[in-house]
Amino acid sequence: MALLEILNLSKSFGGLQAINNVSLSVKENTVHGLIGPNGSGKSTFFNLITGVYQPDKGSLIEFNKVDITDKPAHFIAAQGLARTFQLLRLYGELSVLENVMVGYHPHTKYGLLAPLFMGSEVRRQDKLVKAEMIELLEFIGLAEHAEIPAAELSGGQRRLLALGRAIAMRPKMLLLDEPGAGLSPVNVDNLMATIMTLKERYNLTIIVVEHILKVVMSTCETISVLDHGQKISEGNPDFVKNDPAVIEAYLGKEMADDDIRLAMNS
Amino acid sequence: MSFLSKITDFFEYLAKRHRLLPWVFAYVALIPLPFILSALFNEYLIDLVNRICLFILLAVGLNIVKGFCGQVTVGHIGLYAIGAVTSAVLSLEPGGFGGALGFGWPIWLSIPSAVLVTACAGLIIGLPSVRLEGAYLALATLGLGESVRIFIAVTPALGSSTGLMMIPAPSIGSYTFDSFTSYYYLVMTAALVGIYFSFSILQSATGRAFQAIREDTIAASVNGINIIKYKLLAFVLSAIYAGLAGALFAHMPPGYLHHNNFTVIEMVTLLLMVVLGGIGNVWGGVIGAIVVAIAYDQTKDLVFYFMDRPIVIQPLVFGLSMVLLVMYMPRGIGGWIEDFQRNRRFIRKSEERASGSTRNT
Ligand SMILES: Nc1ncnc2c1ncn2[C@@H]1O[C@H](COP(=O)(O)OP(=O)(O)O)[C@@H](O)[C@H]1O
Ligand SMILES: [Mg+2]
Repeated sequence: MALLEILNLSKSFGGLQAINNVSLSVKENTVHGLIGPNGSGKSTFFNLITGVYQPDKGSLIEFNKVDITDKPAHFIAAQGLARTFQLLRLYGELSVLENVMVGYHPHTKYGLLAPLFMGSEVRRQDKLVKAEMIELLEFIGLAEHAEIPAAELSGGQRRLLALGRAIAMRPKMLLLDEPGAGLSPVNVDNLMATIMTLKERYNLTIIVVEHILKVVMSTCETISVLDHGQKISEGNPDFVKNDPAVIEAYLGKEMADDDIRLAMNS
Repeated sequence: MSFLSKITDFFEYLAKRHRLLPWVFAYVALIPLPFILSALFNEYLIDLVNRICLFILLAVGLNIVKGFCGQVTVGHIGLYAIGAVTSAVLSLEPGGFGGALGFGWPIWLSIPSAVLVTACAGLIIGLPSVRLEGAYLALATLGLGESVRIFIAVTPALGSSTGLMMIPAPSIGSYTFDSFTSYYYLVMTAALVGIYFSFSILQSATGRAFQAIREDTIAASVNGINIIKYKLLAFVLSAIYAGLAGALFAHMPPGYLHHNNFTVIEMVTLLLMVVLGGIGNVWGGVIGAIVVAIAYDQTKDLVFYFMDRPIVIQPLVFGLSMVLLVMYMPRGIGGWIEDFQRNRRFIRKSEERASGSTRNT
C-alpha cells in the first residue's frame, strides 16, 4: 500500500522549472532512493513534500491518505512526516537534548499556555519526555553530549543529531537529504547502518537522497532518478544502474566526481 | 568568582529541598530593602528601585519576544504606554482635569483590564512579524509604538500635553499603596513573579518552540511548530508584561503620567537593558535592567557646556553604548552567566568522573 502518493508535482522559480510534472509512489516500510546530478531538484522535491515550498497548481501530494498538497509545514509534520536537511539546520544554541525535545514537539500533550497555569503538570510530562529522549540519544550515541550546545558537536555528531531530531518526531515516514554528505566512506556506511536499525526499530518508511550512488544501490528497494526536475528513470537498483537514460544524465555532466563514476561502474 | 559560586551553590541547595524555596528566600531577602535604603541613603532611592522593578518587568517581557523567539520589536514602549494610559483612564474619576477621560473603575479592575487591552495591542504589534523580518519588522513595530505615543500626545482625553494627573493609588481595605515604600512591595512582587513565570515559559515546550523559531524558523516549522501561532503568542506574552508594568507605573506615586515617559529614548534604554543582559538570558536581562536603570538615573541631569550652551549628552551616551555593546559584547552579561554555568557543569562532571575512577580502582 502506498504511504506517499505524488501526482504531477511541479514547481517553478521564475523561469526555472525546478520540478517538472513528477509523479512518485512510495510503499509502506520500504526504502526509496532519490538520485540525480547536482541541481536536478532533489532538495526542492523534499521541500515541496514537507510544506517548506508551495507546489504549483495541478500538483497533488497525498500522505497516509491525507491531502497535504497546500498544507503548512507544521500540519504535515503532525501527520507523521519527518525530514532532515542537506545543511542540517540544527538549533545551534540549544543543547543536544533540547534539539531532540523540539523534535518531539508535535506530541506535546499540554497546551501552549500550560506553563503559566499548570506548572507541575508541565514539569511532570517534560520529565517523561526527557527520559524518552535521553534513551533515543543513547541509541544514536549522543547521550554523553546531551547538555552541549548543538553548534559545538563535530561534523559526524551533527549529522547524527539531525537524524535524532527527526526520529524524535515519531514519524511514519522519514525523508533524508544527503545524510552522509561530507562524511568519509566508512562513516557513511556506519551512518547507513544506523539508519537501517532505526528503520526496523521505529517501523519507518524512508526516502533517501544521496549522490554517492553506491550507498543508494545497496540500501534501496526502488530508486527514482531526477534530471533537470524531471523523473527520467525508476526501478530497482539493477535496472536503474543499466538504464541508458541514467548513464547519459550522469556522464553527460562531465563529472569531475570520481566517486560517482566509480559507483556507476561497480 | 568563588563568591558567585557560593551563592549559586546555596540557591541550588535550596532548590533541591523545594523548587520554590530559592524564590521564597529571594522574596524574604528583598523585604527589608526600603528600610536599608532610607536608613543608609534617602527615600528617593526607593523610588529608583521601584522604577527598576518596572523596567525589570519590561525587560523580562521584551526578552520573551526578542530573546526567546528572536523577533525584533521596537514597539514595546508603546505597549507600556497603552497599559499605563488604559489603567489610568479607567480608574480616574469622570470629569477630571483638562478634559481627561475618567470611568471611575476600581483599580483592581482597571489594572487587569489594562493588561487585557495591552495583550490585544500586542497581538496587533505582532502581526507584521508574520510576514516581515529583521530591519523591516523593526520599522513596522517602531511605527506602531511611536504612533501610540503621538496619539496620546495629541488627544486631550488621554492627557495630551499636560499629562494625566491625580491617578488614584491602589488600596487593600484601608491600606493604601501611596508611598514609595508601600508601592515597593507591589512592584517588587510583580517583578519577581514576572521573572518566575518567564522561567516557567522558557523551560517548557512553549519556550523550546520559541527558541527553535529563533534558531531556525524553517526547521522549526518542519518540526511541527505552528510558527504564526507561536510568534503571536510571544508578542502577546511580552505585551502582558508591558501592560502590567504600564498599569503599575500609572498608579505609582505621585500618580502622574505624561507621553514623554514613552519616547524612543525610553525604547532605546529598554533595548539597551536587553542587549546588555544578553539576548535570551533571563537573569542577564534582570541585571541589564538594574545596571541601565541606575546609569539612566545617574546621567539624566548630566549637562555639558559648550561655548556657554548647555548640551544634554544622555541620549548620545546611550545610543553610543548600544552600538559599542552590540559590536564588542554581543552576548552581553548573559554570555558571562552561561560561561560561568558551563564551567560549573564541566568542573562537576570532571569531579564526578575523578571520584568514579578512584572508586573503580
Ligand atoms: N528557493 C529557490 N529559489 C530559486 N531557485 C531555487 C530555489 N531552490 C532551489 N532552486 C533551484 O532549483 C534547482 C534545483 O535545486 P535543488 O533542489 O537544490 O537541487 P539538488 O538538491 O538536486 O542539488 C536549482 O537550479 C536551484 O538553483
Ligand atoms: Mg540538494
